[in-house]
Amino acid sequence: MPPPKAAKGEYIETDTGNKISRRSQIHGTQHIILGGKTVIQAEAVIRGDLFRTTTVPNPTDANTPAVAPNPSTPSVAITVGRYSYISKSAILRPPSRLHRGVHSFYPLKIGDHVFVGEGAVVEAASLGNHVHVGKGAAVGSMAIIKDYAYVLDGAVVPPGMVVPSWCIVGGKPARIVGEVGEGYGVEGAEGGMARERYRVVGRP
Amino acid sequence: MSRPFPYTFISCPCADTPVPDPARKRKSRESPQKSPHTPPPERANTDQDKKLSAKEEQQAEDEDEEQTFDPRSPRSNFSLYPPEQLLYCEECHQIKCPRCITEEIVSWYCPSCLFETPSSMVRSDGNRCGRNCFNCPVCTAPLAVSTIENATGNGSQQGPWVLSCGYCLWTTLDIGIKFDKPTNIRSQLQKMTDSTAPAVLDRSRQGSRAFGDLKHPLSSYASIDEPSNARERGGEQAAPKDEPAAPPMGMDARFAALKSFYRTQIAETSNSPNDHLSSEFGFSSPGALNRLMSLYTSSSRLSGLYGGSKKPKSKPPVMREALTTSEGLQIAPENNETDMIAQLQSPECGWDGMASIDQRATQSPEARFVDDLLPLPVLLRTKRAKRCKSCKHILVKPETKPQSTRFRIRLIALSYIPLPTLRPLALSSSSALPAMAQTTDLNSLPPLRPIHVLLTLKNHMFDPVRITLATPPVTPGQVATKVTVLSPQFEIGANSDVWDEALQGASAPLTSDSRSAVLRGVPEAGKVWDKGRNWTTVVLEVVPGTLPGSSAEGGDGNSNAGTNDEDVVAVAASKQDEDVLEIPVFVHMDWDADAQLDQQNVGKGSKLDDKVTRELAYWMVLGVGRIQPSL
Repeated sequence: MPPPKAAKGEYIETDTGNKISRRSQIHGTQHIILGGKTVIQAEAVIRGDLFRTTTVPNPTDANTPAVAPNPSTPSVAITVGRYSYISKSAILRPPSRLHRGVHSFYPLKIGDHVFVGEGAVVEAASLGNHVHVGKGAAVGSMAIIKDYAYVLDGAVVPPGMVVPSWCIVGGKPARIVGEVGEGYGVEGAEGGMARERYRVVGRP
Repeated sequence: MSRPFPYTFISCPCADTPVPDPARKRKSRESPQKSPHTPPPERANTDQDKKLSAKEEQQAEDEDEEQTFDPRSPRSNFSLYPPEQLLYCEECHQIKCPRCITEEIVSWYCPSCLFETPSSMVRSDGNRCGRNCFNCPVCTAPLAVSTIENATGNGSQQGPWVLSCGYCLWTTLDIGIKFDKPTNIRSQLQKMTDSTAPAVLDRSRQGSRAFGDLKHPLSSYASIDEPSNARERGGEQAAPKDEPAAPPMGMDARFAALKSFYRTQIAETSNSPNDHLSSEFGFSSPGALNRLMSLYTSSSRLSGLYGGSKKPKSKPPVMREALTTSEGLQIAPENNETDMIAQLQSPECGWDGMASIDQRATQSPEARFVDDLLPLPVLLRTKRAKRCKSCKHILVKPETKPQSTRFRIRLIALSYIPLPTLRPLALSSSSALPAMAQTTDLNSLPPLRPIHVLLTLKNHMFDPVRITLATPPVTPGQVATKVTVLSPQFEIGANSDVWDEALQGASAPLTSDSRSAVLRGVPEAGKVWDKGRNWTTVVLEVVPGTLPGSSAEGGDGNSNAGTNDEDVVAVAASKQDEDVLEIPVFVHMDWDADAQLDQQNVGKGSKLDDKVTRELAYWMVLGVGRIQPSL
């Protein structure tokens, strides 16, 4: 494999300041919203193609299929807030659920200043602001991680779990093991490094 | 949580210095009239403090003068905290760590549904969520309510519901429990586990849901059973067989039955109606008390002197124990143990069928097998307010709502002490590729090779701060690392205005970078490396020491590097984390603060400009990296 061209730069920077690695794999871009100043590192996988099919048309009804594939209002699969950071080879997948016998995807919402560690797999329904997902952690389908929560490295958050604010979860399956300090998330301190992280990305 | 390098910890001064004087005086003054909820250990401390205060203070001062902080000493484990965990008391003007605060519960909430539980309900719910939140008894993951007949019903979903674990795929079907409706699962479950048997004891079981209701039906039971009890008293062995195979009660029901039974027993057997003990504590045994009292009064020889009225003692009524299942008696089944052993040995049980110790710890004591495990309602969590231990000032007060992340009061240390951040200085003097130079691997620092680390202190106060840094020239411990702060005295600007930050924010990093690019490679003694609006960066020159027994020891180690390798491994194993390079730094800061109201009144005559010089000093520990065993 040839080495990546250094001249071109590893990152594409968008108008809103998103820094996206050329080597990341982003599927279904029209279903992904990046809030700006988001960093997506190499080999990260973002599955925007797993969006919710809005209608479950009855095959007998001839009129409804015309509405279903409506390109003007694409359903959003993944929303990412500002200053969020998707590390190397992390995977973002919208959560899915079997509801009334129909398997459907739900949107994945990621807040501001979120850090997703290397190799983490996130299938949560939502990650709040200032959430830290550690290296190699897995966040199960439809889990809800509230603001300032901290998922330790290698933790497996079971599907449907709710992690309250300020809580540290770890283990397999994840349990609440502690709380972060009150100063967590202060700019520049632990949990508030998002701007600094963003700044140094792609800088020689 | 261990942190990746580089990290900074701050030592709370509470560890070795006693609480400062004004606070102590107040504390000792307050101690007699302390509110009842103060923890007793603290009270004990105040007494001790009073006695030892003078001596300790003297000692502490001496220590302050002479000793440097050793991050390796076992004690320092208890005083080092990451900066964001520390609070600051404005009354004491001191850093407060989690050990020098007291906590008060603001609200209880379920971590799963994030509903607040009113404090009046917390006890009756057993500190657990009263709604639909359950944890898997096998793996502790949260359980979801789901319907069994899923695929078919497209309309209104009917049919039985179960709790299922998304992690280990356990469901309540495994223990044969289904629910009729998807709401109020906890009361449904309680009903099921309490009344698995027909309605012989219906009255008691209905009562089991609320202890209050239970008192009356069961006390009447007790009186009804009285004659039969008298009959059974003769032959206790026969008692269980006489009864028509009473169904077992649930845990809660049995507890409630026993409780009310003993209550009636006390009421019946206590001979004096205004007996303090029985009325106050409710569980005293009057028989035992009488026996004790008679020991002291009658057997004493002196009793004769004081009249010696040998009262004909009425024999104290004897309190009996529960005799029937309705009273809460549970008799172990006849072949209990043998049955259990048989089940253990049966092929369908096996190791997996046994409940583990962790699982049994949260279950009823009878649960031995996985089939006996019941879903656990989620334990509640609390939001807590924090107070300074010495002056009772509130330091942190979160909003009551569980969903809210805001605070009404939040005095964190970071808004008072400068925030330290550490990063290695990329020495790119020779190589043209900065990316190469930046990879100073902090996890393997070569010994005896000087490195420069940049320590940035960022001021969050609205006043400029003067800082003096001091480090021991050689770090304490086995590995002697030489440390020099190139500019130990400097100032940090005020965190002046939000607008300034907003306006400068875009340009500031760039300018600083360009400036540092100019300065790069020339860390000079006595000069600040870099400076911004409210932050200052200084350079620390660090020469990592050699690990004991490493090949680099004693100048040229290359000759015997091969032979020493095993020793190195052995030493590294025996002295865990000896190779971690941690630098203790003493920080002294002083600043001119606006005088607060109370101090304004005091110092009006002397100071007219409303400024008071404050100072604060503490130790912090910089975790630079790990020293590699050999060159």
